[in-house]
Amino acid sequence: MNKIDLTNCDREPIHIPGKIQSHGFLIAVDYANYNITYISENTSAIIGENATNLLQNPISIFFSSLFGNNEGTELTHLLSLGKSQGFDLINPYKLRIKEEAYYLIIHRSGDHLVLEFELATLQYDIQHIIGKAVSEILSNKSIDSLLQKAAEEVKNMIEYDRVMIYKFQEDDHGEVVAEVKNDDLEPFMGLHYPASDIPKQARELYKLNMTRIIADVNTESSPIATFEEGIPLDLTHSSLRAVSPIHIQYLKNMGVESSFSISLIAHGELWGLIACHNYSPKFIDYKAREGSKLIGNILSSALEYRQTEETNEHDQLYQTAVTALFTNLEKDPNIVTALTSHSTTLLDATSATGVAILFEKKVHTLGNVPNATQLESLLNWLKLTVKDSVYYTHQLSATYKPAEAFADVGSGILVSLLSKDMGELIVWFKQEKLQTINWAGNPEKPAEKGADGIMQLSPRNSFASFAEIVKNTANRWSKAEISGTIKLREKINNTINKRADEIRLLNERLKLAYEELDTFSYTISHDLRTPLTSIKSYTELYIAKNKNVEDPNKKLLDRVLVGADKMRFLIDEILKLARVGRAELELSKIDAELMIADTVQTVISAFKAENVAVIIEDCPMVDGDATLIGQVFTNIISNAIKYSTKSANPKVTIKGIVESGEVIYSVADNGIGIEIDHHDKVFELFRRMENVKDFEGTGVGLSIVKRIMDKHNGRVWFESELNKGTTFYLAFKKL
Amino acid sequence: MGNPDIFYVEDDPDYAFILETAIKEVKEELTVGIVEDGMLALTKLQALADSKYKPKLILLDLNLPGLSGLDVLKRIKEMPFLKYIPVILFSTSDDPKDVKDSYEYGANAYVTKPDGYNNLLDCLKSMHEFWFMQNRGIN
Repeated sequence: MNKIDLTNCDREPIHIPGKIQSHGFLIAVDYANYNITYISENTSAIIGENATNLLQNPISIFFSSLFGNNEGTELTHLLSLGKSQGFDLINPYKLRIKEEAYYLIIHRSGDHLVLEFELATLQYDIQHIIGKAVSEILSNKSIDSLLQKAAEEVKNMIEYDRVMIYKFQEDDHGEVVAEVKNDDLEPFMGLHYPASDIPKQARELYKLNMTRIIADVNTESSPIATFEEGIPLDLTHSSLRAVSPIHIQYLKNMGVESSFSISLIAHGELWGLIACHNYSPKFIDYKAREGSKLIGNILSSALEYRQTEETNEHDQLYQTAVTALFTNLEKDPNIVTALTSHSTTLLDATSATGVAILFEKKVHTLGNVPNATQLESLLNWLKLTVKDSVYYTHQLSATYKPAEAFADVGSGILVSLLSKDMGELIVWFKQEKLQTINWAGNPEKPAEKGADGIMQLSPRNSFASFAEIVKNTANRWSKAEISGTIKLREKINNTINKRADEIRLLNERLKLAYEELDTFSYTISHDLRTPLTSIKSYTELYIAKNKNVEDPNKKLLDRVLVGADKMRFLIDEILKLARVGRAELELSKIDAELMIADTVQTVISAFKAENVAVIIEDCPMVDGDATLIGQVFTNIISNAIKYSTKSANPKVTIKGIVESGEVIYSVADNGIGIEIDHHDKVFELFRRMENVKDFEGTGVGLSIVKRIMDKHNGRVWFESELNKGTTFYLAFKKL
Repeated sequence: MGNPDIFYVEDDPDYAFILETAIKEVKEELTVGIVEDGMLALTKLQALADSKYKPKLILLDLNLPGLSGLDVLKRIKEMPFLKYIPVILFSTSDDPKDVKDSYEYGANAYVTKPDGYNNLLDCLKSMHEFWFMQNRGIN
């Protein structure tokens, strides 16, 4: 015998073994003329001569010699009847051979009719048992109890030691999902088997031939003799078909001496098997096998229906979750909290056990996810790798090796790329499949090694190899999960776009409001001047006409004039500020040297600050609007001079340098300085520092400077130390 | 109105009153004719022109209801009889654009309204000195 392992299983042509199990015998005849084409060698014992002698003889000779002429002829007619009416009508045909009850079961195989003879052992009518069993099974609502009940009924009918129901999972590996067994046996419930335990061609046979009995693993198979050398008889639909030695070994390793299986088919695919084991040889009567097959058929259609129902239920749940998330996105202005902080979250949209969302450069997680470092690396990898809007895998470590470190939480991932450019995405994590498996018996029990040191085939060893195969693997993502996340992505992106549009709209309104504010400030300041002028003029006129007004009363009127002057100054400043916003720049080359010299002279005389030493160094030309730039220099220079008048040896230094496409002016004084806390408030409107109380000012000047520099795409900033001095910098773009 | 020395267009009666008072203080004999809007100003000026009377000086406020000071200025400079009378734009505004526009329309001077009575008086004194004493020949 060849070495038995799982690697050569797949290649074995198990439908043409050239042998049958020896609990029955087989004769095949030519479909047209009923001459014997194949005959199992163990037929010799029945007919008392070498069976091969019968080859090429008409079947009628065999029938007549065994059953006499009358019954022999009837049997030959039976073949013709079966050919025209179908053999289901005839099977099983009961007959007696040497005082023993036999069934004859006939089916067509290619150009042959295959006649199989096996003992009829059942003493009672099984019909009513089947009827009762079926109604018992169908009374169950859930798949689990349906399966459990079916296993029980099959065990009742065939009386095997153990009846299990295997379910084939999406990757073809099997899981024991129901089990009924004698109390002394170790439970196999929940065990998983690698797909290779039941090789592909065996699965194909299970789909074609719904039941399969191996009556006794210890008997020798009987070869099939034929004169048609090299053309083996196809035994796909045979019930006596000999068993692969690999499978025999597998059963022996488990201590199983006979086995029986019934196929479960849903949606045309092999859903699973009802697998029955007996620890001693046990043949099952044809009628009991047919009864079991009926149970299998009924269970199959029930499964087909209920599975669709349950899948729909799952899909429905995901769909409901996605819809709820849609509503959250409508209501909650914050996208992340909409997806993570309400009663329905991203986790509900799939079967995932964890989820991470990377949005606006921040990561938010729910459930079980890799640790922060692992997650960061993974997200970086995804940002680089993922090109499509959806990416999913149930074996992340196959493409991303570091995933092995967090296989327990993230063997499978489903990625929804919200924006490639922004690097924004959602990752759902599925835990390793092994984590979800129900262990049965003692999982620590070591795998047994055979005498040759090779791991023996056994359920336990199979499980160990299964565990190897499914390491770092999660359950696959279903179509419903994927399509749900695609819909969700669309909605999220729509929401983001809608928000962006809203912001753009707000921004435009804000701009408009700002322009209106400029117009408003300008108009109101302008209009305020007229009544103010009246107040001042009438007051002065009154004083002029009443030269004899007593001193105390005159002082009151003087205060009116002071107030009016202050107000006038403030209005003029606001007017200037508003004018910057409204002005169209008229750019020209400005002779800054001349402008600065003029400004310095004007400012010194205005403040009567002849004590301030003003040093003017290099003054390169500046590009800009002469009127506005004039205001900038006026404001900065007058501040420098004003705030240093009270210093000892007051000094202001003005100079400009040309540096990488900019002209940068600095105006340095040794005045009162600006407190560090106030550094960021200096350019705010109406903001005056605490230490300037003793100096005239409105708090508008530097706002004007800032606005003018902004309008020129220039920059203004300063360095200052309290009581030491301040240096203002003005950077003008060179055109 | 009669035949005023100074023709003044001003919609703010307060400022008109203050200015008239100040002019009287500069020179008691000077007469001021005041109209409150541009349309009326043009009608009156046309009437003066028809009667062949030329005011010595026209003062125009810039911001007026209806026709603006600039509109009035433009029309004056289109009237052959009146086009050589000095016109001074007299406004609260110190916007460089207003100043520029005024000169482009042919203003003889642009004066930002002085702030307060004392400044106004000073301003009118020097105006009187310039337009009535030194440049008599213009009229």
